[in-house]
Amino acid sequence: MTAVELAEPVSVVPAAVDDVRPRKLTRNADLVIALGLTAVIVALLAWNIAGFPSASDDEGTYLAQAWAVQHGRGLAHYTYWYDHPPLAWIQLAGLSWLPALLAPKLIAVAAGRIAMLPVQAAGLLLVYLVSRRIGLPRWAASLALVTYGLSPLYLTMGRQIYLDWFAVVWILGALALALSPRKHLWHFAAAGAATAVAILSKETIAVILPAVLVAMWQSSARSSTRPWAFGAFVSGLVLVGCFYPLYAVLRGELFPGPGHVSLIGAWEFQLGSRAGSGSVFSSGSGASSLLHSWLYYDAVILIAGAAACFAGLALRRVRPVALAGAILVVVALRPGGYLPAMYVVQVLPFFAMAIAGIAAWAVTVLRPGRVWWRRAVLGTVILLCVGAVAPRWYVGDRRALTADDNAPYARAADYLRGQLPGREGATVVVDDVLWLDCVNAGYPPDKVIWFYKIDLDSAVAKRLPDGWRDVDYVVSTPAMRQDPNSLPTVRTLLTNSTVIASFGPQGGQIEIRRVDKETK
Amino acid sequence: MIFVSVVLSAFAAVTLWWTMHAWRTPETLAATRFAPPDGEQHLTFSLLVPARHEQAVLEHTVQRLLRSTHEAFEIIIIVGHDDPETAEVAGRVARTAPARILVVTDHNEVKNKPRALNTALPYARGTVVGVFDAEDQVHPELLEHVDHAFRSTGADVVQGGVQLINFHSSWYSLHNCLEYFFWFRSRLHLHAKKGFIPLGGNTVFVRTDVLRRANGWDGTCLAEDCDLGVRLSSRGAKVVVAYDSTIVTREETPGSLAALLKQRTRWNQGFLQVLRKGEWRRLPALRQRLLARYTLTGPFVQAFSGVVIPVGVAVALWARLPVFVALLTFLPVLPMAATLMFQVVGLRDFGKEYDLRIKWHHYVRLVAGAFPYAVVLAVAALRAVWREYTGRRDWELTAHLGAHLEGSPA
Repeated sequence: MTAVELAEPVSVVPAAVDDVRPRKLTRNADLVIALGLTAVIVALLAWNIAGFPSASDDEGTYLAQAWAVQHGRGLAHYTYWYDHPPLAWIQLAGLSWLPALLAPKLIAVAAGRIAMLPVQAAGLLLVYLVSRRIGLPRWAASLALVTYGLSPLYLTMGRQIYLDWFAVVWILGALALALSPRKHLWHFAAAGAATAVAILSKETIAVILPAVLVAMWQSSARSSTRPWAFGAFVSGLVLVGCFYPLYAVLRGELFPGPGHVSLIGAWEFQLGSRAGSGSVFSSGSGASSLLHSWLYYDAVILIAGAAACFAGLALRRVRPVALAGAILVVVALRPGGYLPAMYVVQVLPFFAMAIAGIAAWAVTVLRPGRVWWRRAVLGTVILLCVGAVAPRWYVGDRRALTADDNAPYARAADYLRGQLPGREGATVVVDDVLWLDCVNAGYPPDKVIWFYKIDLDSAVAKRLPDGWRDVDYVVSTPAMRQDPNSLPTVRTLLTNSTVIASFGPQGGQIEIRRVDKETK
Repeated sequence: MIFVSVVLSAFAAVTLWWTMHAWRTPETLAATRFAPPDGEQHLTFSLLVPARHEQAVLEHTVQRLLRSTHEAFEIIIIVGHDDPETAEVAGRVARTAPARILVVTDHNEVKNKPRALNTALPYARGTVVGVFDAEDQVHPELLEHVDHAFRSTGADVVQGGVQLINFHSSWYSLHNCLEYFFWFRSRLHLHAKKGFIPLGGNTVFVRTDVLRRANGWDGTCLAEDCDLGVRLSSRGAKVVVAYDSTIVTREETPGSLAALLKQRTRWNQGFLQVLRKGEWRRLPALRQRLLARYTLTGPFVQAFSGVVIPVGVAVALWARLPVFVALLTFLPVLPMAATLMFQVVGLRDFGKEYDLRIKWHHYVRLVAGAFPYAVVLAVAALRAVWREYTGRRDWELTAHLGAHLEGSPA
């Protein structure tokens, strides 16, 4: 009898181990790439963050409102009139105490910018995550992150304190959750809640809600739980979102009425009465000059991104992000609407992801691994792209890392902190940027007044029974001098005052002026 | 006020989380179904059908049971010695299939379902005992599925799905049907997974030896099904729940609001009794004991919050509270409104699974009836507590009309 050698059964356990380890490695590789690139870009953002770009009025506004939340003064230190939903500066309030503690010498806006860095880091990581979840390979997700983060437009706007950044992070989070590979019901509910938080951070992000819905639709395709997924999403969205109107209802400020501000009244203003900034196509309009200022910083990401968004609509996996970008482009191009200066903030991540998505598609179609000439074509294209983009970005990014545009502000803040004669009990009119510096320097908050509130806020006018003569100092900045005719009291103050200190070059100078109460 | 609203929202959120168990991911949903049977039959069944003043529906139920595709089963009908009408129907049906049907008379002075079941248990010859109510509409293929479920999972207990179907009968039946839908379709699966399960009253199958070792049902308990589940769980019995809309046992909602109230009072009181008996303390893991405590007190907290939350919201709207506090009172509304949202989705799903036409006014009714239904549940919960602590523990039976049977007026 011959013994038959039995074939060894294939061992099962090592196979399982083999399967587990690469998956873990894969996840770690993603983590290392995303964290590494994010760290580099956040470092670039942080470098010279106080010096460039010049502090804008909006940054001061949001910071001051965050200050009001921090100090329990309600949602704003002036009457909150539902101009924007308050969630973004409530979040900013949660972040902004830290830099003030670490570096009290910085001007308030610079400290606020540092407080925004964690938000930027989250946004960068989410760009990578969403790119991966729409099925891009690792290199393409990295490309999206780098395109986004190294664009001079991002390195400029990304340093500034805008409500839009919070909205962007939350909507990217919503997309990541909607595209969750586990298709978990509560991920979809969380996606809805994140969308609501995004909208309550900056209302304009609501226009890209369809993109999140498309992501949900794709993600729950061929799944038995799709209706439940949408039920969860809608619950999260509506239930979190309704807290804002609820707040207005509880304060009796939902409907317009005499003697109080109202949510619906503010909406009517935003949608109806607010002057449009013209069409981007008519030269000389506000929208057109805004577009040109964006193009000045970085034409590459804007042009390539817009093209990629419209092309990406044809690719199933890229469609959610492409749709978001395309909607934003269409909204920006609508004639006669109002185009805010920070609009481009919401656009950038979607443009970057769409560019990466198109690049990934092109490489897949080309299949460079097969024939040498395909590899050559690909190499040439990459070289051309890098050659075209790198010099422009180098110039833009170097400017961001070296320019010092805020020196006059810093010196004016120093002066106000220490050298202003007779500052005890003085009433000072400032712009939004310097307001928080004054308050931090110990001026009583109700004695430091945003310049336009003198003319526009009846509650402030009541505090000054003698009108402009109750003001002791006015700090004149370019923002204040921009549009003198619409603010008569401010104009009077500027004409009836003498310069006691001046900082910065001619034209952009910041002047500390003492009000001459004796002259007529 | 803040404390109450935070606690209530936590409770409502946990309940919602568990209620949605089956739909968490497509994989969990797939796992809740019966595996398709392999065509083999190895077990023998003794199907107990206690009937009390149910002469109108009993015959139909038994006829349907007889149509079962399984080979090896017997039917034991239990009737009371003081209920000649039902006994007459039972005897007549038994004569049509003498080899399959046995009629047992319950001579207990105080009549209730667990005592009737215990009376029949010694006569059971099958390896598995199944319980059905006299008004149940049982699918012919159910036993084959259960046979396979026992063998493929090694379970001691198999709980099949039960579904109220007559959602169109009244405003509360819509809510009642959905309660069953969410309970059997989803929540019970979670309980089976965690190893603590209050069993349902019918379409429940237990291995006869396991049941006998547990001394059958508790004749004094108003929720004998729940009690049995708790006792078997704490002894480590393996319970499997399987749901398949095609072979689910169909039932009817109580015929009137008063009947619903009575039925719910009985269940709630039964839950209280099970809680007080404390068998659940023997569960091995702390998590299981917590789940037991939570589940058994659940109806009361739910009833409480169902009424308190809307009242709290009304107070927040009309009383001049600080805005922050007022906003917090709205916190429990989130899970509550989400529950309602999921009920709307559930109603759609329910209609699809059972091939029922759900019209827009049913959705309207669902939303409009949510608060009144919560009030009914709250009243039942209060009534249960009242009866339990005044020592009234008699069995209030629900009358059955047969509204779920095919061909009945819609």
